[in-house]
Amino acid sequence: MNIPPVEPGTVGPCPVAPDALQGIKRQQTNPARWNGAGWQDFVAAVRAAGVELAEGSTACGMYATDAGGTAYGQPHGVVVARNAGQVSTLLRAAQAHRVPVTVRGGGLTTEGESVAFGGVLLDMSGMSRVLNIDAQNLTVRTEAGIYWHSLAEELRRENLDYLSAPLNLTSSVGGTLGVGGIDVNSARLGCSADQAVSLQVVTPTGEIVECSDDENAELFQRVILGYGQFGVITEATLRIRPYTPLAMHYYYYSSLATAIEDLQMLDRNDASDYSGILTIMDCAVNLLVAFDSDEREAAFKANWEARLRGFGEAGFALCMLGHYALRPWRIGEALYLLQRKQAVFPEFRRPEFHRDGKMHDRSVVFSRAVWKHWGSRQMVIPDLATPADTFIEAVERGNAVCRKYFPHYTLYCVGIKLRPEHKPHYEMSCVPPGAEGWAYGCEFEPMIEGEVYSRDHFQAFKNAIYDIGVDLGASYYRFGGMMKGYIRRVFGDALVDRHLAMKRKADPAMILNRDVIF
Amino acid sequence: MRTVDVVIVGASLAAAAAAKRTVDAGLETVVLERKELPRHKICSGILSPRGHRFLLENFGPLPREVLHEPTSCRGVTFHFPCLVEMPMDFFHGTTPHLHRKYSDHWAIQRSGAEVHDQTSFAGLEEKGDHVLVHARKHGEPVTYRTRQVIGADGPSSLVVRAVYPDYTKQIPWFFVGQKFHEIIDCPLSPEYFHFWFHPGLGHYTWSHARDGRQIVGVGFKRGDNFARKHQVVEQYLKDKHGVQLKPADDDHEGCAENFGPSLINRYVFGKGNVLVTGQAAGFLNMIGEGMSCALHSGAISGEAIVEAQRRNRPVQEMYRRMIASEVRRCSDQWNPLKIAFDRPHEADFPEALMKLSWRERGLVLRDMWNFIVLFKEFKWGRQIAAAALQRPIVGGYPIQKWL
Repeated sequence: MNIPPVEPGTVGPCPVAPDALQGIKRQQTNPARWNGAGWQDFVAAVRAAGVELAEGSTACGMYATDAGGTAYGQPHGVVVARNAGQVSTLLRAAQAHRVPVTVRGGGLTTEGESVAFGGVLLDMSGMSRVLNIDAQNLTVRTEAGIYWHSLAEELRRENLDYLSAPLNLTSSVGGTLGVGGIDVNSARLGCSADQAVSLQVVTPTGEIVECSDDENAELFQRVILGYGQFGVITEATLRIRPYTPLAMHYYYYSSLATAIEDLQMLDRNDASDYSGILTIMDCAVNLLVAFDSDEREAAFKANWEARLRGFGEAGFALCMLGHYALRPWRIGEALYLLQRKQAVFPEFRRPEFHRDGKMHDRSVVFSRAVWKHWGSRQMVIPDLATPADTFIEAVERGNAVCRKYFPHYTLYCVGIKLRPEHKPHYEMSCVPPGAEGWAYGCEFEPMIEGEVYSRDHFQAFKNAIYDIGVDLGASYYRFGGMMKGYIRRVFGDALVDRHLAMKRKADPAMILNRDVIF
Repeated sequence: MRTVDVVIVGASLAAAAAAKRTVDAGLETVVLERKELPRHKICSGILSPRGHRFLLENFGPLPREVLHEPTSCRGVTFHFPCLVEMPMDFFHGTTPHLHRKYSDHWAIQRSGAEVHDQTSFAGLEEKGDHVLVHARKHGEPVTYRTRQVIGADGPSSLVVRAVYPDYTKQIPWFFVGQKFHEIIDCPLSPEYFHFWFHPGLGHYTWSHARDGRQIVGVGFKRGDNFARKHQVVEQYLKDKHGVQLKPADDDHEGCAENFGPSLINRYVFGKGNVLVTGQAAGFLNMIGEGMSCALHSGAISGEAIVEAQRRNRPVQEMYRRMIASEVRRCSDQWNPLKIAFDRPHEADFPEALMKLSWRERGLVLRDMWNFIVLFKEFKWGRQIAAAALQRPIVGGYPIQKWL
């Protein structure tokens, strides 16, 4: 039997039948392990050039999976990034010897994007220094392997803060710039990737290039939100802002649609500095609103608060009491809500982070809560990003899928302000093609709660969520890895093939993060 | 003596899935196969959609060489003695009709594992921190020293016999056989897999088209006569369905099957550093489709080894924790409560039933009951009922019955 090799990024004809597995492009998404051809020559070459490369199961074993916990792979060797020159040497050698390089920041991917199926794993956490803080122009130059929480800590000493970053402590700056990054202030400040002013990038062929909107703009466009396909981000200059504590307000809804309408109303009118929705299933929907200054808070109270249709905590408790009194058979759900409230709410009001009614160090407060109450061995968080007008439908349909697959789950929704001048950045990214002004993102997060589900169960759940996206013309924050088949379904072959051609030009041996999207 | 990380016994789809996981994780993996590859394997070849998806996601697009003609199957048609037909399409479209000889070879090659064919498993010695696997290659003894063994060698598993010598005596055994006929006239749709709920024909009676011929297959309790059973089915198809076939060709085939463990939740998962997976462990979906659960359980056995090494936990503990989800899914297929109130299968039986008239529904349910009575001698009824009642209470099936 002669089986032709499958070129990365190609989708061959299906010999089974045209309607086999309807709607799913036939593509291997859990990649084959690289066969190791030429590995020893490569190792000799990089070591001769002074790059420290560790081999063996002790060094490689700790990279066997990512936060998703459903993809397992091990590299042949690991290089901990030290500087751009070393990364350049590594990539030049990898290009010459055709050795795959998988780049890993915080390893918070969920589909195996940062898991190496053979080849070299480049651990960026070795490049984690803050290089320069410019308090005058409000920018910071940092190495890209730094975690956001370390960056926040450094900035905090200067009474400064980053603009927006994912609500966890351990995603890296470089990794986030490559995929998006959303925060509860993204509706006002945009996604994390949009705060990058300029980048130092090592291209797949080993050139060290500085890029920004003005300098090497095309590379900048491809690297930002580019899923690590067009270069390794080694340094980044980011916009920052003065540090401010937050005044938080919570409004409670029993309807997802009403809460989303109110969220979008606030975003459209720039009524708050922070806004987002966090739910306990679809029973308790919490609209979170926060402010950096007393003036903004006062303006909100004067102009907008009365227009919100949510309840305060006591009012909502009464509502729920009435609701479940009429539906005693749903007592289990009511008890879960109560237990969840008692466990989670105090996390957001910890006295060590509250002074004068304001929350300090929100990144720590949110991140602690995220890991403690939402984290588990497997992070299963499929998401949908849609234009504002289809968001309610996307969330409601996704909610129905969650209900079908898991007893308990959480939805997390935020708006993402788009920058019109960054349209080229958004091409084939998590930003949905039709979005104008704002895109809206919703994460669908089942509560695993110590239960063991099969990979197939998770995969079927994710597919059901992603199918909604295909149906609605949405996009996804967590493209890549095992979900890469969806890229073609969402964007169409023409656009994906155009990007694939660019990738082939930039990375002739197709070595850099090669199994992520193509 | 060769020292490796994992030895997998068998080169089937379960073995390929397990090997894929261990090889991906960088573990040195050797697959032992008794026959020369590619080897023949008796099978209907009709893979369920979730099995198809697994193959695509893990091994890539299927080459044409691994498929029979017709290359795809639209669904399953149930036939009953009352002559009511219930065609049911698979969810998510058609599925592949695998040529097991080539599909298994393709998958094991794509897994990246080192395959030692013509190497028969002969026994093992558990040494606490490693296992010695004894085998014979061309009659010569060979020994492997390995950290873990995965037994993926099908229903008549030698690995299971090595670990649990009495197990094979504790479960009922069936024989399934199929004969291939040139077609004169066959009104049965070639797009469907046909299955008969007919106690007079056998415990498992099926027919479908393959490479221009018609398969007539029958399964029965071991000890009965294949030729006679087959003749009854052939005559029935002729009389009741107008199927005109030439006499069977010479290439008929059959094998022993361990149909039953997944009905009553009596799986066998191994001991110490030896894991058992696939049909060897007892996984079999309803209508006898074992490939999709072989793929998934095989993958879980590989994942369990990787996970156990990462967490420094006993591999059995990890495997049994992780396999519970697949047990739940597979045993749900046989759970009468699930069948009545949920959709555990990959085709919609309740919907097909509701398309029938009230009278036909009554006849179908009566015929199904008569068919179930055929299995009365195995005393599965109470065990299935007990498991079905426990399912909603504990959220799964009790693990005490697993070996």
